[in-house]
Amino acid sequence: MDFAIALGLMFGLAAVGAGIGNGLVVSRTIEGTARQPEARGSLMGLMFLGLGLVEALPIIAVAIGFILFGRLG
Amino acid sequence: MEEFSPQFVIAGMVFDIPTMATTLVSAVLVLVIIMLATSNMTDGVPKGMQNFLEWLIDFVRGIAGNFMDSKTASKYVTLALTLFLYIFIANQIGLLSTFTAVSHNPAPGIGITDEVLAEHHGEVHVKLWNSPTANPNVTFTLAIAVLLYSHYLGLKKGAGDYFKHYFQPSPFLFPLHLIEELSKFLTLPLRLFGNIFAGEVLAAFLAVGVWQIKIATSVPMFVWLGYSVFVGTIQAYIFTTLTLVYISQKVADSH
Repeated sequence: MDFAIALGLMFGLAAVGAGIGNGLVVSRTIEGTARQPEARGSLMGLMFLGLGLVEALPIIAVAIGFILFGRLG
Repeated sequence: MEEFSPQFVIAGMVFDIPTMATTLVSAVLVLVIIMLATSNMTDGVPKGMQNFLEWLIDFVRGIAGNFMDSKTASKYVTLALTLFLYIFIANQIGLLSTFTAVSHNPAPGIGITDEVLAEHHGEVHVKLWNSPTANPNVTFTLAIAVLLYSHYLGLKKGAGDYFKHYFQPSPFLFPLHLIEELSKFLTLPLRLFGNIFAGEVLAAFLAVGVWQIKIATSVPMFVWLGYSVFVGTIQAYIFTTLTLVYISQKVADSH
């Protein structure tokens, strides 16, 4: 029972972190594109880079969650 | 539903058979693509596969050009191109199938001993095919090789400069520089591993089974496969970009 709560917390907090982080990055990109539509291409490239970097730690939490789920479940 | 990878152990080292097979297959695929692209090359307007390869090289050169001047960038384009192609193909290969086989009897040749059977309650799901990058050993090897190469380049440029860099803005920041270097060794491989591994586990969950072959027959599975193609591409791009960033940090003239 404890494992269920712990794993649920892991996945939930990872989702919150990823959601907030990604939201900030994408919102700044949209703002930048609104100010200067010509920069759209390079801003999109930077946005994907930023998304990957921001999502790194939540994804590590998810992967560890799956490993624990397999081992303890 | 824990899946078991067929493996054999030599001198305490565990060799994972599907990972070795798919690593080889990815390398062969990269070679085949490059050979197809460079057969019958023309000096004039390129067509077909040669066009695609030239676009790819321009793309990688553009990424390198963001962080270094073009003369130093051209030295590392080959490395970046190889990394990008290999990681891209390795990430996509695991999506080809979620075949598993079920074994009820011990098969010590591939590591299914009586203890493993007891652990899985008599029915072992054997994983037959996965992405090489879903195995942490592969991603750590790639990251360690690339990061050690960047340190070697920094030392080759000038050992005095390299060590002075650690104390650069102020000696109090030396522990922070150390932590930054160590965290590079951890986050770079774990990012790639986590993305691809989590994608594969979820794909295995979503696969609907027909006898013992689980194939994509449900809508969520198709959606997830499409998203995994996207994630695999993005992670290859990020690994390549970060490699070039770390190399440029050690090699750059102005800091």
